[in-house]
Amino acid sequence: MGAIKNDDFKKKLTSAVCTLLGAVPAAQAAQAAEDAGKKWDIDAAVLYYQEADNRVSAIEPVISLRRGFSGNRALNVKFTLDALTGATPNGATPTNVPQTFTRPSGSDSYVVQPGETPLDDTFKDTRLAVNGSWQQPVGRLSLLTLGGNFSKEYDFLSVGGNALLARDFNDRNTTLTFGLALEQDSVDPVGGVPIPLASMAAAGTLQPRQGGSESKTVVDAMVGITQVLSPRTLTQVNYSLSQNSGYLNDPYKLLSVVDPVTGATVRNVYENRPDTRSKHALYWLMRHRLKRDVVSGDYRFFFDDWGVTSHTLGLNYRWQPSKKFWFEPLVRYYTQSEADFFRIQLVDGQPIPVEASADYRLTAFNGLTFGLKHGWMFANGHELILKLEYYTTQGDDSPSEAIGVQRGLDLYPNLKSTVVQVQYRF
Amino acid sequence: MDGKGDPVRYSNRLLIPLLLALASALAGCATVAPYEREYLAEPAMQTDPDPIDSAYNDHIYFSIEGSSGGRGFGGGGCGCN
Amino acid sequence: MEAVRAHTTVVGRFKAMACPCEVIVDTADDRLGLRLVDVAEREARRIEEKFSRYIPGNALDRINRAEGKPFHVDEEMAQLLDFAARAFELSGGLFDVTSGVLRRAWKFDGSNAVPAPETVEKLRAFVGWRRAAWDGRTLKLEPGMELDLGGIAKEYAVDRAVALIAAESGAGVLVNFGGDIAAGGHRRNGAAWSVGIEQVDDAGKAAGVLQLKRGAVATSGDSKRFVTDGRRRYGHIIDPRTGWPVADAPRAVTVHAATCTEAGFLSTMGMLSGREAETFLRGAGEKFWVAR
Repeated sequence: MGAIKNDDFKKKLTSAVCTLLGAVPAAQAAQAAEDAGKKWDIDAAVLYYQEADNRVSAIEPVISLRRGFSGNRALNVKFTLDALTGATPNGATPTNVPQTFTRPSGSDSYVVQPGETPLDDTFKDTRLAVNGSWQQPVGRLSLLTLGGNFSKEYDFLSVGGNALLARDFNDRNTTLTFGLALEQDSVDPVGGVPIPLASMAAAGTLQPRQGGSESKTVVDAMVGITQVLSPRTLTQVNYSLSQNSGYLNDPYKLLSVVDPVTGATVRNVYENRPDTRSKHALYWLMRHRLKRDVVSGDYRFFFDDWGVTSHTLGLNYRWQPSKKFWFEPLVRYYTQSEADFFRIQLVDGQPIPVEASADYRLTAFNGLTFGLKHGWMFANGHELILKLEYYTTQGDDSPSEAIGVQRGLDLYPNLKSTVVQVQYRF
Repeated sequence: MDGKGDPVRYSNRLLIPLLLALASALAGCATVAPYEREYLAEPAMQTDPDPIDSAYNDHIYFSIEGSSGGRGFGGGGCGCN
Repeated sequence: MEAVRAHTTVVGRFKAMACPCEVIVDTADDRLGLRLVDVAEREARRIEEKFSRYIPGNALDRINRAEGKPFHVDEEMAQLLDFAARAFELSGGLFDVTSGVLRRAWKFDGSNAVPAPETVEKLRAFVGWRRAAWDGRTLKLEPGMELDLGGIAKEYAVDRAVALIAAESGAGVLVNFGGDIAAGGHRRNGAAWSVGIEQVDDAGKAAGVLQLKRGAVATSGDSKRFVTDGRRRYGHIIDPRTGWPVADAPRAVTVHAATCTEAGFLSTMGMLSGREAETFLRGAGEKFWVAR
């Protein structure tokens, strides 16, 4: 080739190649646009939830779409439909005679048999929720995610936004995350907002209501560390804080007011909770890879200013005998203390407390979940995941507060529920 | 705060020693080099490998228990609690 | 196409452009990996369909049967011909996309079929980019001339595949079409790809391992394609100016450059530089390996 002028040659070659590769002919751009429909990753799932004893059942289909863009940016959109039917405990205690309760609309009522836990079956609702988020790298070591959510059901509307920043340190062995979320909810209960601690009136008569809707604000903050401990071990610790303020009552829940001697129900009153709540949660996750399988454990310690303290312990084992499928048994143990203002019932004649609720979710109880997940990978890269779970709770059926006719009745509405989940990723 | 002063003091008593223990534990961690990290990059070793499943779990437990939060973040509200 | 997960990566394999192709995606997301492999495969097949000599009726075939009539080419073909024109100038005539007809004289199957000089001379009448009229839009070949883009099609396909993948995702990816390789995106943990440089006679035993983080690697070599007359071994890279294989060409030349097209061009030029291969490659300023 003879004498070569090094820089000149290199520059000309590079320039020629850049011209060739830089241009994307119109034909190709059109082709790429045509193929655009194949660029979304889709995660579709349906959850079927069923509680025993004719209580709540729900079907929740979900579809999540994700699209990646160059530079590790991504858009995520998720649609959720939540269809609920069935009955839920209304907070009143069972007693030895039939009880009549007025439905939230005020114009209808339902009867509960002696000895039965009063369940309100007005509880039918469909919820639609949309979540969107955008992921954007910030420099080489950080990732920012911004999201928005919207949720609407017949009596409830929620709108919120969140931001999460993750930064890597220490040769990417450590990741620090910081997140902030704001949410504004408005409750528009069926029949209007009940006057707290007012007596429930008979159907068809004037109901104690104080307006049509209420609102609440939630501010969440979270800080977390994810740390690589060894080539096979990962751990994560998060601390989160949630400040709730506004209308925190459940407008459909009651407390029974019982006779101090006989224990018979005299009347029912609507509950009342504080108008602020500070929740704290400390979460710790460990994952360890064995020869081929992965074992994980997580623990959450929760406490708030309502007096609720809880411990949650989860364990799962991912058994992966082949590249094609895996099984993952899991177990979860949960224990909770009761809220300071939790009351099984109120006693007639005694001063009514400022805040009181008989919502079974605020009492002391333990919960145990057993579950099995199964994943199957298809040759085309699609994945099918099935999950079956069984949850039971155990609380104080015969609390010392039981009076007269209440003794001998089961005053804690145990929960038994089954979950079936089917998910397809493609 | 309000009359229930305990949780605030409780949190101070618990959080700070916990974070200090954590910090000292992490300081003693060996650094894993990039070429040793192949197992950590596997799907089953991610901190949240199945966001839909996590969201379902969060939603169910939020509806039937008195606690919430910990792992994830900002999924949106519902009228269930 | 077959795709498997190998710990941290998704590896896709398929056959295209008459060679084994492999696309490796560094991701924990199986679906993303699969999709990106698919992007690369579709691009490889598209380029093969369009530029292969063996597919009747495609753009290249129609150009070669135009019998002297001017042929109006599409944008992509125009870009490639522009590159061919500049490469021809830059290489002093060594890179010539009209030299394909010479294969009729040289069948590189390891046999003793060294052609008679008259055969080669006859074919030389149809070789020479200067005999083609290229105005940036229309190509006019003299009757009997043939356009052969085999010298850059594979490397071009590799660069195109990497570009299309990059438009969809920043995930680290290694595209390998029969030994023409390019890396794109960023691997997690900042890792590099380990690419084995094959020694000519010990096929399968890597002479060295290159840690590739970005850029491309292309190899030109005669290990599998040559003819011999008993005394001398003629490699399969023909000098278009003479019609004969280059004397004292290396067994193989591997070049690492920013793009596969550049690397391919330089490795071919290295081979064609015969005993000047090292000098030429040093002058070109890229990392290279020469096996003799």
